[in-house]
Amino acid sequence: MKLSKIIEKCKLEKVVYEGDCEIKAGYCGDLMSDVMAHAEPDSIWITIQAHKNSIAVALVKDIKAIVFTNDITIEGDVIKKAREENINLLRTKENSFNICGEIYCMMEGKTDTD
Amino acid sequence: MKSSYSREKLTLVNELIYEIKIKEAMTKNVIFFDENVTFREIQLKLKEKKISGVPILDKKKNIVGIVSIDDIITAFDKNYIDDKITNYFTREVVTAPQNFSVVYAIRKFEKYRVGRIPVTESLNTRKIVGIITMSDILNRLLIEVQSIAEKVKDEEAKDGKISNRILEKVSKKRLRFEVKADDFNNAGRVASITKKYFQNLGVSKEIIRRIAIVCYEAEMNICLHSLGGHITVEVDNNNAVVCAYDRGPGISNIELALTPGYTTASEKIRALGFGAGMGLPNIQHCADKFEIKSSLKTGTLLKAIINLGEKNETK
Repeated sequence: MKLSKIIEKCKLEKVVYEGDCEIKAGYCGDLMSDVMAHAEPDSIWITIQAHKNSIAVALVKDIKAIVFTNDITIEGDVIKKAREENINLLRTKENSFNICGEIYCMMEGKTDTD
Repeated sequence: MKSSYSREKLTLVNELIYEIKIKEAMTKNVIFFDENVTFREIQLKLKEKKISGVPILDKKKNIVGIVSIDDIITAFDKNYIDDKITNYFTREVVTAPQNFSVVYAIRKFEKYRVGRIPVTESLNTRKIVGIITMSDILNRLLIEVQSIAEKVKDEEAKDGKISNRILEKVSKKRLRFEVKADDFNNAGRVASITKKYFQNLGVSKEIIRRIAIVCYEAEMNICLHSLGGHITVEVDNNNAVVCAYDRGPGISNIELALTPGYTTASEKIRALGFGAGMGLPNIQHCADKFEIKSSLKTGTLLKAIINLGEKNETK
């Protein structure tokens, strides 16, 4: 599914948007090594860990976009690093549970009336 | 075919600036002066030899300063061209040791914007053994690339396995990274640089990912749980070998440490999303061979070997 479509439907805020791409999977996790072990390449990652190490993890795993939840503040150095490394950063006021539900349903083709 | 050949040459330059040492590129016959000389005398020498600056050395050939064309112009302007340089010359000089790679000199050129860098015998001495400019570096690079291109042309004529030759040439370079304890901000840079290194070698994406995970987890372990250490990455016999060393405190029970979910991370570290207890298990899972040794006296040594797969990968 195209990242632009996910951003539009879920009303995600574009903090760093380097361009559209194909998202093949999603992962939700706040522990770095857990994401290291289980996230798939070309995926979207939902987390509250809005710091530079999340960018490092995304780089290693070829994660295409990170969604920071709970309207967390994102520091300037994180944004700068994401731009340098071409990682899309998105933000939402929703919590991880809700936004995961929305994105999951979109990607699996389900609606909330199912 | 042609475009991938030039791409290989371009990344080769990248590798070569790490491989070529300053002493191989520098000029050894240094034109220099001692302190008891006038600006006029230096000006005449600069003109005669068509150079832009000279180091000022003492009797033992230790560097005490430097005079460049800029200084000569100022001397003309302020009317002290016939004075001895003693009270005017620059005493803070940018130098580089002869055993370092030219990439070190290139960074200094970029940072300090000087025209030439006197070369010292070693890191902690001031004795000058040569002088280096960007043209010296470029000349040397051209020689190296030309000789490789010639070898490649011969190989091409022989059996058509190009990448093999280049792989062997660059595999001698070993990467080494110092990792400081608690350096969260820089954590992840080992994985990032190593990833680019193997991309240059044409290794498959899936294998690079595994190497990157090993580097990341090893770096985080040194950063989060040790007093500091270093990581080396090198290519040996078509394998990537990642070694991580730290200075302590050592692991008291290795089997426990290898258990998924087991962690000794503090609250502060866990608040950042670390301490999942998956670092070592992740490394074990990604590596083809894995060894870990630790002592409470000397620290921990970890070695992970990842096979690079088929050579001459097409992308």
